[in-house]
Amino acid sequence: MYIRVVSVFIRGKYSMRLFEFYSPRTFDEATALLSQYGADAKIIAGGTDLLIELRKPGAKTPKAIIDISKISELTGIREEGDLVVLNALTTHSDILRSQTLQKHASLLCSAASTIGSPQIRNRGTVGGNIMNAATCADMVPPLIALDAQVTLKSRGGTRTSSLSEFFVKPYVTSARPDEILIDIRFPKPPAAASSSFVKLGRRNAVSISRLSVAAILHVEKNALVKEARIVPGSAFPTWQRVMEAESILVGKKPSRELFAEAGKKVAEVMISITGRRWSTEYKEPVIAVLVRRALEACWDN
Amino acid sequence: MGSKHKIIGKPERRVDAWGKVTGRAKFAEDYSVAHQLWGKVLRSKHPHAKILRIDTTKAETLPGVEAIVTARDIPGSKVFGIVVKNQQILCEDRVRYLGDGIALVAARSREICEEAVALIEIDYEPLPVISDPEEALKPGALPIHGDKNEFVHHKVCKGDVEKGFAEADFIIECTFKTQFVEHSYIEPEAVLAEPAEQGGVVITGSVQNLFSSRRSVAEALNLPLSRVQIIQATLGGSFGGKDEVMTSMCCRAAILATKTGKPVKMVNSREESMLESYKRHPYVLYYKWGAKHDGSITAMEVRCIADGGAYASMSPFVTWRSVVQATGPYCCENVKTDIYAAYTNNNYTGAMRGFGSPQVNFAIESMMDELAAKVGMNPLEIRMKNGFENGAVTATGQKLTHTVSLKEVLTKAAQEIGFEAKWQKYRSLKSGEKKRGVGLACSYRGVSLGAEGTDAAETIVSVQTDGSVIVSSGVTDMGQGAQTQMSQIAAEVLGITMDRIQFLNTNTSRVADSGPTVASRGTIMGGTAAKNAAEKVKTTLLEVGAAMIGCDVGSLDLAENYLINVKTNERLASFSELCAECFRKGKPMMGFGWHHSPPTSWDEEHGQGDAYFTFVYGANATEVEVDTETGKVNVIDFVSVHDVGKAINRGMVIGQMCGGVAMGLGYGLLEEFEIEEGVPKQLNFDEYLIATAMDVPRIRTIIVENEDPAGPFGAKSVGEPTNELAAPAIVNAIFNATGRRLYEIPANLERVLLGHKLTRTGKRGSEVKANHG
Amino acid sequence: MRESVGIIATINKKKYEIEVAPNTTLLDVLRDQLGLTGTKRGCEIGECGACTVLIDGQAVNSCLVLAAQIDGHEIVTIEGLADGNTLHPLQESFLDHDAVHCGFCTPGMLMSAKALVDGDIDPSEEEIRIAISGNLCRCSGYQQIVDAVKEIPKK
Ligand SMILES: Cc1cc2nc3c(=O)[nH]c(=O)nc-3n(C[C@H](O)[C@H](O)[C@H](O)COP(=O)(O)OP(=O)(O)OC[C@H]3O[C@@H](n4cnc5c(N)ncnc54)[C@H](O)[C@@H]3O)c2cc1C
Ligand code: FES
Ligand code: FES
Repeated sequence: MYIRVVSVFIRGKYSMRLFEFYSPRTFDEATALLSQYGADAKIIAGGTDLLIELRKPGAKTPKAIIDISKISELTGIREEGDLVVLNALTTHSDILRSQTLQKHASLLCSAASTIGSPQIRNRGTVGGNIMNAATCADMVPPLIALDAQVTLKSRGGTRTSSLSEFFVKPYVTSARPDEILIDIRFPKPPAAASSSFVKLGRRNAVSISRLSVAAILHVEKNALVKEARIVPGSAFPTWQRVMEAESILVGKKPSRELFAEAGKKVAEVMISITGRRWSTEYKEPVIAVLVRRALEACWDN
Repeated sequence: MGSKHKIIGKPERRVDAWGKVTGRAKFAEDYSVAHQLWGKVLRSKHPHAKILRIDTTKAETLPGVEAIVTARDIPGSKVFGIVVKNQQILCEDRVRYLGDGIALVAARSREICEEAVALIEIDYEPLPVISDPEEALKPGALPIHGDKNEFVHHKVCKGDVEKGFAEADFIIECTFKTQFVEHSYIEPEAVLAEPAEQGGVVITGSVQNLFSSRRSVAEALNLPLSRVQIIQATLGGSFGGKDEVMTSMCCRAAILATKTGKPVKMVNSREESMLESYKRHPYVLYYKWGAKHDGSITAMEVRCIADGGAYASMSPFVTWRSVVQATGPYCCENVKTDIYAAYTNNNYTGAMRGFGSPQVNFAIESMMDELAAKVGMNPLEIRMKNGFENGAVTATGQKLTHTVSLKEVLTKAAQEIGFEAKWQKYRSLKSGEKKRGVGLACSYRGVSLGAEGTDAAETIVSVQTDGSVIVSSGVTDMGQGAQTQMSQIAAEVLGITMDRIQFLNTNTSRVADSGPTVASRGTIMGGTAAKNAAEKVKTTLLEVGAAMIGCDVGSLDLAENYLINVKTNERLASFSELCAECFRKGKPMMGFGWHHSPPTSWDEEHGQGDAYFTFVYGANATEVEVDTETGKVNVIDFVSVHDVGKAINRGMVIGQMCGGVAMGLGYGLLEEFEIEEGVPKQLNFDEYLIATAMDVPRIRTIIVENEDPAGPFGAKSVGEPTNELAAPAIVNAIFNATGRRLYEIPANLERVLLGHKLTRTGKRGSEVKANHG
Repeated sequence: MRESVGIIATINKKKYEIEVAPNTTLLDVLRDQLGLTGTKRGCEIGECGACTVLIDGQAVNSCLVLAAQIDGHEIVTIEGLADGNTLHPLQESFLDHDAVHCGFCTPGMLMSAKALVDGDIDPSEEEIRIAISGNLCRCSGYQQIVDAVKEIPKK
């Protein structure tokens, strides 16, 4: 059966204003459109952040929306030697189910499993999560802990940036409007390292992070910590490894007390950056606990 | 066990479920007709202000706009209200909360509506915003209506509290606070109003209380009731919430439809819905008990202040239930209760599942545990010591003549969860990241409206010539299954199977005004009316059968779709044949059933009387795990026990129990509609959090059946009692785990960890303001 | 600016050629343009799941998909679940387990459940709860829904 529907439905009320819609199939088409529209264009991937933005009354509507979901090179997870590469359109569901990631960076799978609902995970992409740059974006802390780099493409060419330097402030990255994020890559952590992601939300599902922590812990054969990486989420305006806390761990024997000490340090650093605010009374003790728990979870693995 | 009934108590599929699993069920927003216009409300920009000027000229010239309406264009009454008529359909000179509407637009598309609304110019003179009810009650506070903000003061007075306190060994005094709660029906409000052929309007919508909405529409448009027809669309949840907010939407759409002569559809977005709709009342509860070392209570003094918000709505009734039930199912000779409601510039507050009981139950059941701790009893013992038994006399002086099953439900709940052993164990565990606790709560609850109002309902059973049956009722189905229960009752009486029954959604022009479907009165009122209606038809059918067979009526009955001989069970004719014969003989095949509730009494001055004609009893027991380092509470086990009189449909009773617990869990742990200076902070489900499937544990349900002669086949009610106990049970369980009591709900992360709430300062997040141009 | 975009998509096994406005969501197009009103609108921000449909077999919130994005994809809505008058086993199971109360969440619940059971015929209670965690139900407390998915009549 074939049905043709021509009457176009016009909508108001909490709806989006009109824009041009493009659905390029290749990078060239996409980058050409982006260079043509510049800041007047907006990329759409899964749309789970963008459509919510556009629906808000008074939202700034772009002149053009460029749907990159038909560019087939943008999907998939692969290994390239010592690197793992996530293409930008990889969905949270893809990550959750990936054997490769389970093996090399299980904290990404844990983080993906906490995002929204199955419906959101089926649509939402890792690229969108990064580019939207909300302080509660759950894929970012693990990726920063993994020392990830992002690859950006525009008509002018391709460049890379380390993820930890990519963010300017909440909701702002250093990408130019004509750039597409095409992939995220990170070196495989040593096989002996283990990782974890802990998230605290108000509910047990469909719950944004009140606080989160991504951690990677590498304990050597001699039972001393060789390397530790700790990246809290929803704690700072942008994300960063908390080196001051990591260095407390290095060279020491893992213990609950040691982890707790690192946690306290993270809380201290948080306050030194954000100052004391309405939420500090809660966040200060809790971030310390979550750091300890994240490290314990690594240690238990 | 149930063998005396064929349909009652059996697992029957819901009569309305097929349409709902296939997507065919039509909810209000699913109705559209050719050439319909869209209607939209311009809402206030200030929580409290004088309106100095309304200028609609620019909006009127916008192409596609077909009507703009302000209060001046309302031909009849500009205000409505079930108890106090002060709610404005549209505001003319003053706005009292942010959800207030000022003007309406009807236009060709929603987009045009939106643009037009933005073009309407309003000049305001802001007035001081009163958002704290206790401030509102202070002398000198600016009155929001009339000359003072206090609009309800209910009392109950029994014995002499002063004497009771003097006799006490010690006194416990606590202050509790509860929050605004959004009904969170998943379907936002919608209506379609069409001009009727002979004048008047036909409205199809997500309306809970069709008859009161109809009355208001008729008054607003100066129409007789006969010219206003309201048809209930399949309702996507209500929980008490689709009453006044729908009345105002019906009035608005009807005014636009009348003015334009065209059908007008109005649909709220979720944000509009949360902004405008009424909520469950927040209460401040001051409890003072005098008790003896043996655990007996010598005096109870209670004072509560309810935030009524901008309009009276159902506050007088809701708070009346609170005043009757404020001291719980516990014996005490000396009681003094005062409940006040105050106007503020917050969302108005009204009916919500529980209807004034969740607030007081939170306080009573917390107090009970405090008392237990003081006298060294466990929470079960203290309740068994003080709880009502058969023949008990309530705080209002009512002697209970039905089976008082409080101790039965309590014991069952406690046993099922292994309460006493766990309680003892958990309280003595010292430290730990995750601590377990068990909690208990119980209640008694008056059935139906009680002395709150006229309590009567109609159900019609119409047998067709082929033996199929159409049932309709003035009592509406909001998803709770009233239609199915009434159908089961009719089928039971007529001796037919459920597949023969078709239930019609309520239509105000086809059935009698049956009052509101509130107070869990669906089964007891609609059901009894259905029984009466079916019995009338049955009498006729048996008479026709007797004449047809040539025997006397007494030897006949109806069973399994046949006319049978009661002695031999011989099938004499099929139900269809009997119906065809009935038609041929020209006999009436329609039964009108009416039920008026048994008498109740109330002496307003002394707060004494037989408040309700019967009561139900329930108990909840729960086990929680408290993360003592983050404040996160997980409910890991839950037992819900309710005496429902008789379960007409077990599956539905269990459904009500599970749904009630989930909602109560949200009340206890998650939900909070915050209003700051008259501005609500949560307008959608991203910030207003209700429980997901991951937050609700498996619930163990136990149905207790002490049949009550007041209800059909002994059935009482189950809708609301299931919702009024989870929060105190959870808070008591947290106390058992941590040794720290919470006096405010919800027990969210911050309250559990820090013991108090944190208030966000400054703006953030989803600041989608529903009335943004 | 172009007022519409032409798309071709398969919806409930039928092929549709539709002119959609770029700024409409899949939810709008299903409900208002195609008359498939079984898919419900509850929040429009991906939180309630009432609008859940399947795109290429995966559950998604149709309120968060631009209609223009479904070009070339296969959509299944609640109207496509039954085979004529023969209900899908999940639908039968919902009826038998009293999993339908007001019914507003039901279409979305059924679609999430279908996505689950299509991939896994014997899911655990935990898996079922996760699968429907994006579908809010205010009436049922979820238990009878979970039971309905767990105890699907064997075909
Ligand atoms: C109900 C709900 C729950 C959610 N829960 C969570 C949660 O728990 N944790 C969490 O982290 N997030 C959550 N989110 C947010 C969101 O789902 C994720 O951030 C998701 O990963 C965004 O991906 P997307 O593909 O949908 O992004 P889109 O909405 O398509 O895009 C987001 C932004 O990124 C830009 N963009 C996208 N892809 C690219 C690219 N390749 N190159 C350049 N720019 C690009 C877009 O222009 C846009 O500005 C939730 C959202 C919803 C609606
Ligand atoms: S309407 Fe789409 S998730 Fe609520
Ligand atoms: S059945 Fe009413 S919301 Fe689920």
